[in-house]
This record gives sequence, C-alpha cells and structure tokens, in this order.
Amino acid sequence: MVEIKLDNASVEFSIYNARSRSLKSNLMKRVGGHIGQSAKDDRVVIHALRDINLHLKTGTRLALVGHNGAGKSTMLHLLGGVYEPSSGSAIIKGRVSSLLDLSMGMDPEQTGRENIILRAVFLGMSIAQAKALVPEIAEFSELGPYLDLPMRTYSSGMAMRLGFGVSTAIQPDIILMDEMIAVGDVRFAEKARARLHKIMDNAGILVIASHSSETLRQYCDRAIWLKEGQVLAGGPLEDILKEAHGPD
Amino acid sequence: MHGGSYYNLALKDIVQGFSKWQLAWLLGIGDIKQRYARSKLGQFWITLSMLIFIVAIGVVYSFLFHQEIKSFLPYVACNYVAWTWLSTSIIESSTVFVQAQGYIKQTPIPRSIFALRTIIRNFVNFLHNIIIIFLVFVCMLHPISWNMFLVIPGIFFILCCGFFSSLCLGVICTRFRDLPQIVQAIMQILMFLTPVMWPVSSLSKNALAIVEYNPMAALMHVVSKPFLGIVPDMSDYILSSITLLVLMIGSGYIFARFRARIVYWL
Repeated sequence: MVEIKLDNASVEFSIYNARSRSLKSNLMKRVGGHIGQSAKDDRVVIHALRDINLHLKTGTRLALVGHNGAGKSTMLHLLGGVYEPSSGSAIIKGRVSSLLDLSMGMDPEQTGRENIILRAVFLGMSIAQAKALVPEIAEFSELGPYLDLPMRTYSSGMAMRLGFGVSTAIQPDIILMDEMIAVGDVRFAEKARARLHKIMDNAGILVIASHSSETLRQYCDRAIWLKEGQVLAGGPLEDILKEAHGPD
Repeated sequence: MHGGSYYNLALKDIVQGFSKWQLAWLLGIGDIKQRYARSKLGQFWITLSMLIFIVAIGVVYSFLFHQEIKSFLPYVACNYVAWTWLSTSIIESSTVFVQAQGYIKQTPIPRSIFALRTIIRNFVNFLHNIIIIFLVFVCMLHPISWNMFLVIPGIFFILCCGFFSSLCLGVICTRFRDLPQIVQAIMQILMFLTPVMWPVSSLSKNALAIVEYNPMAALMHVVSKPFLGIVPDMSDYILSSITLLVLMIGSGYIFARFRARIVYWL
C-alpha cells in the first residue's frame, strides 16, 4: 500500500558559521569559558518545518501552496525521505520518484548511454535492466548519434531530454514535483507532457508545489497552505487557494 | 527516538547499501573514469608515477640503508603499493559524504552506498598498482611463492577497514570540515613511522615498539608480506583484527547515532 504519514515531523537546520563548525572552537567550547559561550550563541537554528502532521493515502493529489521560503521544497524533500525529520517521525511506503532535479547524478564526462544506465540504476534498476532500457530512452529523447558522445557536448535542452526520459521511464508509487516540468521545444514538450501525464495518472500519490493556480487546478484536488514552516490550513484545493491568494 | 531503532535503521542502511552494490560499482568506476577523462594513459598514470617513485626511493634508500637493491626494491614496491591503498582508503573515507552531497540532498539513498563506492574506487586503483609489483619482481628476478595467496585475507582486512572508516570518519568529517586536512597530515606522519620505505632491521631494539604496536604497520604487512612471499606474523593478524574490531564498534555507534544528521550537515 502506498502511504505517507508524518507525525509531528520537524526539520531544523543548524547553521554553523565557519567558526563554530571547526573542531577548534568545539574543543574550546569544552575547554574555555568565555569563548565557549559565544561560540555556542553563534549557532543559528532554522526551523524549516515545524510539527507537521499529514497522512496521505493512495489516490491523494495534493498541492502545496505558499510563498517563497514557506517550506514547500523542504516539504517535498521530507515527503521523499531525503530528510529524516529532526524530531517526530515520517513513514513513507512506496517507491518515490522526485522529479525535482532531472539532471541529478549526470556525469558530463560519460556518454549519454552511460548516464542513462547510471541514472536508471539510481532509480533502483539492476545494470542489466538499465541496459535494456536504453533503446526506449534513445528513441524518446531523439538524441540519435549523440548518445555515444560525452554529455558535456550536449546542449542544456538535450541534457534535459535525456534526464527527463530516464526519470519518467519507471512508474513510481509516489511522485513529487516542484512546479510543472516543461522540457524542450513545442513539439517535444507535447510528447513529454503525454509521457508525464501517464506516470502521474498511475501514481498512488502525487504532490505538486507550485505558484500557478492553473497548474494546481489541473492536477490536484486537495491542498495544504504552508507559511513559515507550518501548515496554516489544509482542505479542498479551491478553498485553500482562496485563503492563500485572497478572493480574486 | 529510542536507542534500538537507531541501530535498526543503521543496519537497514548497510543492508540496502550492499543490495545496491551495482550502483556503488557504477559510481566508483565513474570516479576513476572522470579523474582521467580525455587522457590517453588514463588510470595508468597513477601506476606509472608510482613506479617512478618506487624505483627512485628504492635505489636511493638501498644506498642509505646499505641494502642489496635486488631484495630491497621488491620490498619497497610491495610496501608502498599496500601502504598507498591503505592510507588513501582512510584519507578518502573522510570525504565520502561531502563528495556525495549532490546525491544525498536530492534522493533518499542508503548512506553506506558511498562507503562502498570509495572502497571500490580504491580497490580498483590497487589492482592497477599490483602491476608494479610484478614488474619489479621480473626485473629483480624475485621468486614468486605460493604464500602469495595469503594476500586474500589481507585484502579483506583493508577493504573492511576502509568501509568502517568511511562510516565513522566520514560522518565526523562531514560535521567538522577541518578534520579531513588533519587526517591527511596524520597519515603523512604515520607513513614515516611505518616501515614502508625503511627496513625494520634498521631500528634499534628500543625503537621496535613503533612497528610492533603500530596498527597501520600490521594492516600494511598482512598485504605486503604475502606479496614478498613471506607469511605474516601472528602478531600482524592479531593487531589488524583488534584494529578492525575497534573501528567496527566505533563506526557502528557513530553511524547509528548520526546517520540521519548527515544530510543536515551537508
């Protein structure tokens, strides 16, 4: 069963400045009196998310709304299991695919083919399965002979096509997206959208963070409104959009 | 969270890491390819520069220590190849997670994969460097004996050592970014305290302790001695096992306790 359950989950970052991050000041903290005190005060804690309670089940189409810095991206990372909460708990059941960074793990010195394999193995395939996937990605991305050249020779659009092709080749249970992805020129974008819609429709849980109400209306039915790392409100999408953006 | 679950999660991380060994393999090999991308000799540059170093040191020190070059050059070659592997494994274990921050900050991934990646990378380097040993043996007409098969347990010791050192040093060094430099400096000192380039026989009786109680020397010897055709002493194995055990317990605690914090420190 596909499920995400957050119980009082918080994500806190301690920002160490250059001084308190070094071992020297940590030793001094133990040894010295005065310096120790000030070194301790140097530490700034950022509460990126505070006491989040959330239970997502199969069929959820959730929108995250909120201003810049409200915690949307951190929330996506928390839901994807990148951050284990610094307090509280997060239980994530199902294969997660975060379409947050399509070019993650791409090595510019290796060929497109090798990068497809690397990325697919990252997504949980064996090397043999990944190799079998190459022709399909090659056809989709239309890279042709470029596939055997190092990725540093690719234009950014070509690299995106490749990354997108692999990232969407495996059907995940949970999809996390930061804004709707758009890849390539008009013709290719159409093809990409169809491919993306297919895996979005088949996913158990879909979470999208976006500033565009249009996008959210198209894919989501529920929403939560984040502000300063806390859930301000949650409920049907239209109600939350009204609350968050004010009546238009 | 209570103590037990820390250990369960850490163990789960390690089990998953091993089950994804193919990813660690691709990453490790990718590192090597990346370092020597576009160079013709590629990986063999390391081997070549090490060969030059070994021959130079071997010749000079054989005069300094009044050793016969025919036996001293193979001695230095075996020691230096084993030492380089051991010390690089430890030095690079301090940056495993910092190096992998691009991945760790983007996807949920077992942290132990990156420890495996580092030991794979260093092991492949070591396999290349073995060529030097055979090259020197051929030139110096050094006999090859069956004792050479004893390198297998030795290799196992260094692999484990690199793995556990990644899990503890790697975690601590992610939090304290000055430590990798300190580790590197300590390794340099340890190299002079370990009989890599000088014969143990050149030590006076009182100074023998720096070899007898030196874990780095023991770990080096379990690999370098079998290559030379010598059976390592029991004391080498005992000291290596103790070192490994201490490292295992220490890394078990540190990794379990701070594994979840790694991503916050990056």
